Amino acid sequence: MTLLELEGVTASYGPVQVLDGVSLSVPDGGAVGILGANGAGKTTTLRAISGTVRAGGRIVFDGKDIRGLRPDRVAALGIAHVPEGRGTLGDLTVRDNLRVGAYLRKDRKGVEHDIEYCLDLFPNLRERIRSNASALSGGEQQMLAVGRAIMSKPRLVLLDEASLGLAPSTARTVYDAIHRLRVESGIAMVVVEQNANLAFTLVDSATVLETGRSVLTGTSAELKGMDEIRRAYLGG
Amino acid sequence: MARPTTPPTNLATPVWRRPWVGWATALVVVVVFVVAPLYLSVLTNQTIARVGVFAVAVLGLNVVMGYTGQVSLGQIFFVGLGAYVTAYGVTQGWNVVLVFVLACLVPALVGLVVALAAARLGGLAIAMVTIALPIVGVPLAKRLSDVTGGSEGLSTSFAGAPAWSGLADDQWQVYLVLVVGGAAFLLTRSLVRGKYGRAFAIVKGNEAVASSMGISPYRYKVLAFTVASLIGGVSGFLYMVVVQYTSPETLAFNHSIDLVVAMVIGGSASIVGSLLGGAVYILLPQLTSNIDSSLTVLLQGVVLLAVLFVLPGGLVSLPRALTRGRRRSGADRGPVAPPTSPSSTTAAEEPLTERQGHA
Amino acid sequence: MGKFVQLVVDGLSTGSIYGAIALAIVLVNQATGLINFAQGGMAVLSAYVAWELTTHGVPLVLAIIASVVFALLLGAVVERWLIRRFEGGEPDTAVVVTIGLLTLLTGLCGWLWTYNNKQFPSLFPLGTVSVGGVSISIRSIGTTLVIVVAMVLLQVLFVGTKLGLALRAVAINPESAAFSGLRVGRLLMVGWGLAAGLGAVAGALVAPQLTLTPGMLDGPLVYALAAVILGGLSSPVGVVVAAWIIGVLENLAAVYVSFIGFDLKVAVPFVLIFVVLLVRPQGLFGRKTVVRV
Repeated sequence: MTLLELEGVTASYGPVQVLDGVSLSVPDGGAVGILGANGAGKTTTLRAISGTVRAGGRIVFDGKDIRGLRPDRVAALGIAHVPEGRGTLGDLTVRDNLRVGAYLRKDRKGVEHDIEYCLDLFPNLRERIRSNASALSGGEQQMLAVGRAIMSKPRLVLLDEASLGLAPSTARTVYDAIHRLRVESGIAMVVVEQNANLAFTLVDSATVLETGRSVLTGTSAELKGMDEIRRAYLGG
Repeated sequence: MARPTTPPTNLATPVWRRPWVGWATALVVVVVFVVAPLYLSVLTNQTIARVGVFAVAVLGLNVVMGYTGQVSLGQIFFVGLGAYVTAYGVTQGWNVVLVFVLACLVPALVGLVVALAAARLGGLAIAMVTIALPIVGVPLAKRLSDVTGGSEGLSTSFAGAPAWSGLADDQWQVYLVLVVGGAAFLLTRSLVRGKYGRAFAIVKGNEAVASSMGISPYRYKVLAFTVASLIGGVSGFLYMVVVQYTSPETLAFNHSIDLVVAMVIGGSASIVGSLLGGAVYILLPQLTSNIDSSLTVLLQGVVLLAVLFVLPGGLVSLPRALTRGRRRSGADRGPVAPPTSPSSTTAAEEPLTERQGHA
Repeated sequence: MGKFVQLVVDGLSTGSIYGAIALAIVLVNQATGLINFAQGGMAVLSAYVAWELTTHGVPLVLAIIASVVFALLLGAVVERWLIRRFEGGEPDTAVVVTIGLLTLLTGLCGWLWTYNNKQFPSLFPLGTVSVGGVSISIRSIGTTLVIVVAMVLLQVLFVGTKLGLALRAVAINPESAAFSGLRVGRLLMVGWGLAAGLGAVAGALVAPQLTLTPGMLDGPLVYALAAVILGGLSSPVGVVVAAWIIGVLENLAAVYVSFIGFDLKVAVPFVLIFVVLLVRPQGLFGRKTVVRV
């Protein structure tokens, strides 16, 4: 069953058109990657989904047309956006960041349980639970951002450049944890990632964007096999 | 970075933009200004003179606030200081030209000193520090009564029309204001249209960008503030010419607010806007108290807010706004950036998000 | 000695008023990034509402509570309909908007209630109480205590409740907070409402002493702004402490430094600011902000 469907999505910032026909489809529990060069519109696609930018075309989540909804409404429907730059709330503690993630939930016990789960998923955060988020390293902040996103018990997570600015080993740790999360919870994901190798460890399929348009879509296996993809994104 | 040059003309250029029209208009205006006072009533001349006085004050405020983006709530202090210097000098019998020079220099010096300290602080802190000037200035003026005449102030009578001119007092005063004020306007106009004006605009837009371009925000803020204070002093001199009396009330804080209000309504970062601002300063209270005197302040607030919402560029931008309104085809392309500043950041990732995030 | 203690206590009392307004300004600044010059004006309007109620026989305490409720609504409405439009833009423009609001509120009060002084009933009896042989004004102690309690309650709200957490999150990064489902606009309205409510408390407490006029809080506003500069925009505790320091110092300077006297004591906070800021531009307690290009 398709959880998220994008068809012919367009978006502009004022007079500048950034998206010019993006299509992708995410099955329930599935993970889809968005690949492409800088400026191709990957981040904007996620922002179109979460309602941060106004978009044209079709964006349907769980059968509902979510185009034009405000970001907090989109979040309430079960989509959690981990933005580029992480969006951690620097002046709040790690624990408070996670609590903010659970803002819409009313089940106290469930929230505590899920905080435990996050700390188990990201052990680094456990030691820093009382520190201000701004004191964390880049990798820890990324973990915190992901943790905050899953605290809302979303059905879909939008992950934007999770490896940005991280050392390769740290990025791998983060992706391993996200992979484990996927396996254990069945949350669907849309993953924007410049490091295609890393992306393919997580996603089942991907779409490649070029100047705001989906130019290629296929399963991970198919794409990894293609020469152009290998040369452009996988280092030959 | 927009260069304020005259656009090339061709047959499609509307009549009012063609170069000769500008010169012709200026000539007409000059003639009107020279001839009119001879025929207008005493009251009208006095009103024009007062408008001129405060147009100069608003002009000064515009230099530091409209063009350079630093909120100054102390402009009236420099006007008052100029007035006091003038009053003191004249009562001591000094040469009028010397007094005028002092009325320019003393406020400028004080402004320089204040700016050297205040400009180091972030933008809003400057606003808060400039509040101190009139707030401390008033009791100080009362205290230093040997020099300032204390609460009673100083009155003078030095701007009577000289016998050789054959003019009445009010006519002489209005001419004086027009000449001196006009000179101030012209000089300021060339300042803000030249490289200093461009530097001011960059500092106003984004200080970090200015630094990276080698334009020191600190230096230009100090310069703008000093120029504003100098112009304030000129306004103070003219104030004495027209009113012939100054007291601590001259530099009261609420007048500073009134100047800011007048500047915004007239048009910030605009020479003509400063003129309109002077008119607003004098005429708006008269207008509102004619409607209903108990409503005066309320109406002033309403007018200011209305201008900020509907016409953020001030009255001077009305013609532009009207023509643009006719040309626009309908649907909004994206959120409209709020008031006065030319934004120097590119559209890229910022603007839409702020809007979308709110309930 | 007795005189000294009296002056200090009185200074703490006026300092608390400045501090309440300063705290409200900081609160609003943290949430929406601008300085609200009308913070005092909103408090004065609320005080007039309380006064009007007392003239109709409503007991003072109830009238004050009603005025606080009014202020909560006023703050929310002002944010939504007046300020919201200018929130993303230049702070300097927004400042002028608040100046316009101040003018409007002052004019509104002047129109509805005239510019004549009105006597506002005092919440506290006017006598003194003897503590350790020194007589201290009951009103000063009472005012300080009430405001301290109000500030503590606010602090408890911010740190201990879910709403407080949401308000803090929105102040830090509204876009990111929206991703967790926080309704940013609603929360900004709440923030402004709370700030206005705090101002209303201060207004009602100081009105008996200053007598109620439309411009009643113009002076205290200036001191509050001084406290904000001194304490640093990013530090709520800092501005309150700074406000107390200003209140006390100004009183002491007026009496003990004869050059300054009563009329020039207004210069004290500004001299203080000047000196402090030359050394620490971010204020006594503030943090250096990094400006991104």
